[in-house]
Amino acid sequence: MSTRTLEEPVRSRILSALEDQDTTVTLDPLENKMVLNMGPQHPATHGVLRLLVRLDGETVTGCVPELGYLHRGYEKIAENSTYHEFIPHTDRLDYLSPLANNVGYVLAVEKLLGLEVPERAQYIRVLCCEMARIASHLVAAGTMAMDVGALTVLLWTFREREKLMDIYDVLTGARFTTSYTRIGGLAQDWTPPATEMLKTFLGEFERDLAEVEQLLYANRIFVDRCENVGLISPQEAVSLGMTGPILRGCGIARDLRKDKPYLVYPDLDFDVITYPEGDALARFYVRMEETKQSARILRQALDKMPAGPIHANETKRVLPRKERIYTRMEELIHDFMLINLGVDPPVGEVYQAIESSKGELGFFLVSDGTANPWRLKIRTPSTANLGALPVMVKGGMISDIVVVIGSIDPVMGEADK
Amino acid sequence: MTTNGQQKRPQIRKKDLSLWQLSYIPEIIKGMFLTFKQILRPKFTRQYPEEHWTPPSSYRGRPVLVEEDGVERCVACGLCARVCPALAIEVQASETEELAKERYPERFEINMLRCIFCGFCEEACPEEAIVMSNEYELVFSNQEDAIFGKEKLLMTTEQLKERLEFLKESR
Repeated sequence: MSTRTLEEPVRSRILSALEDQDTTVTLDPLENKMVLNMGPQHPATHGVLRLLVRLDGETVTGCVPELGYLHRGYEKIAENSTYHEFIPHTDRLDYLSPLANNVGYVLAVEKLLGLEVPERAQYIRVLCCEMARIASHLVAAGTMAMDVGALTVLLWTFREREKLMDIYDVLTGARFTTSYTRIGGLAQDWTPPATEMLKTFLGEFERDLAEVEQLLYANRIFVDRCENVGLISPQEAVSLGMTGPILRGCGIARDLRKDKPYLVYPDLDFDVITYPEGDALARFYVRMEETKQSARILRQALDKMPAGPIHANETKRVLPRKERIYTRMEELIHDFMLINLGVDPPVGEVYQAIESSKGELGFFLVSDGTANPWRLKIRTPSTANLGALPVMVKGGMISDIVVVIGSIDPVMGEADK
Repeated sequence: MTTNGQQKRPQIRKKDLSLWQLSYIPEIIKGMFLTFKQILRPKFTRQYPEEHWTPPSSYRGRPVLVEEDGVERCVACGLCARVCPALAIEVQASETEELAKERYPERFEINMLRCIFCGFCEEACPEEAIVMSNEYELVFSNQEDAIFGKEKLLMTTEQLKERLEFLKESR
């Protein structure tokens, strides 16, 4: 029933119900169609996501995701801060994988400046990206299992993630707000204690993940809740601009690490995981298998990581080393110039995307030659993936919405920016 | 972009489950076994207020001013205030003839409600005068208390020994 055919009093009642988030209005008691507001404060919406759902009984006939509750205006903030100052803000985009956001942003800035970081720094950045992917997928798998009732899994995956957080702490100095990468390098070098901790983690990781698999994979309740829920065809997925595990869960092997390689990914051996079914269960399997591939990448990167500098040798664009600032006039001047005036990028536009845990995370920078970006557009995977939610939940049950949101794994910090 | 170009990966769907698995009895047994096994594992959590956590030397706790020979190292260049993404630092410079340096901060304030602990001030500082300490327990009862002046920010080099050594090695 489209609102256009409704007579005026009913139409205005619908519109007022849409505006007031606290009401639930049954329009016609006999037809039993109602508009339900799910969220923004709902335990299953993974943040402040509000869904307007039209129900026929318990069947969803329409859904509109309402975004913007966590909007902090990061794209505008970027226009008023230097390229260096914006780095801490990227932590707070996808707050489940801050390290990957740091890497994505500085890669875009470096592309604009034409900087090439040394190989060691590239390997460390790969390690950062993959640790972030594991941590993020663990939360995604845990929360999705929690949404269908398996609370134990959440606690176990969070325990694994906690080990990664400890590594972040030793490596970057913070568990959450890492701000680790710098334009043309990294804040500090990878340390032997971090290697030890990562090796310990990798030694135990697959054994601990196997416990999660044993608990869920042949579990009838879990399979029943997820199978054929949130179905989406590959054609729809592509036309809606979805990326990441959702697209790979439809059988399309799109992975920017392979398709548009950045950093040192071409030198590393890993598989792109695809499952053809396109439902919530397939997406869950994609994430679980991807964590294993990430662990594989981490092992290779640890072995292959060369010794050497971690900063690009470009004194006018990369912050100088501290001991040289203390002792030499030239570096002292560079320090003052870089902090006060920022880098001097060429006029132009660049787009750099990385395969973050949720999908294609792209940074589009427009520079007018000044120290601040003229425009920074952040192409976040969560925003695009949430666009597929109405397609996925239509025709399903209301309890399936919870599973579908869990399988999309949106992070509202990223979706709302 | 390839479609279905990958090898088949393991997955269990409804059709793969045997009648015995569909009865859910083995899952209950397996689940109980796995869950009770966790009891025997070493505890992963920490009883926080009683059991304190010692941060590693790379940890970025609250920013402090380094005090050397009873006076702060800071020369009030204002670089930390410039780089601060959260605009938390305020420096007011003044001149002096008594000290070895010509300038000193007459007033140095960090608004701890604004500070995001990114460590950019420490990175920008050309005098190693502002560093991140290992203190992470910050409690204020009102907004005025959250603005830390010099008296709250100063810390001696002995107190900050670990962090200063870390900075020497890593930066």
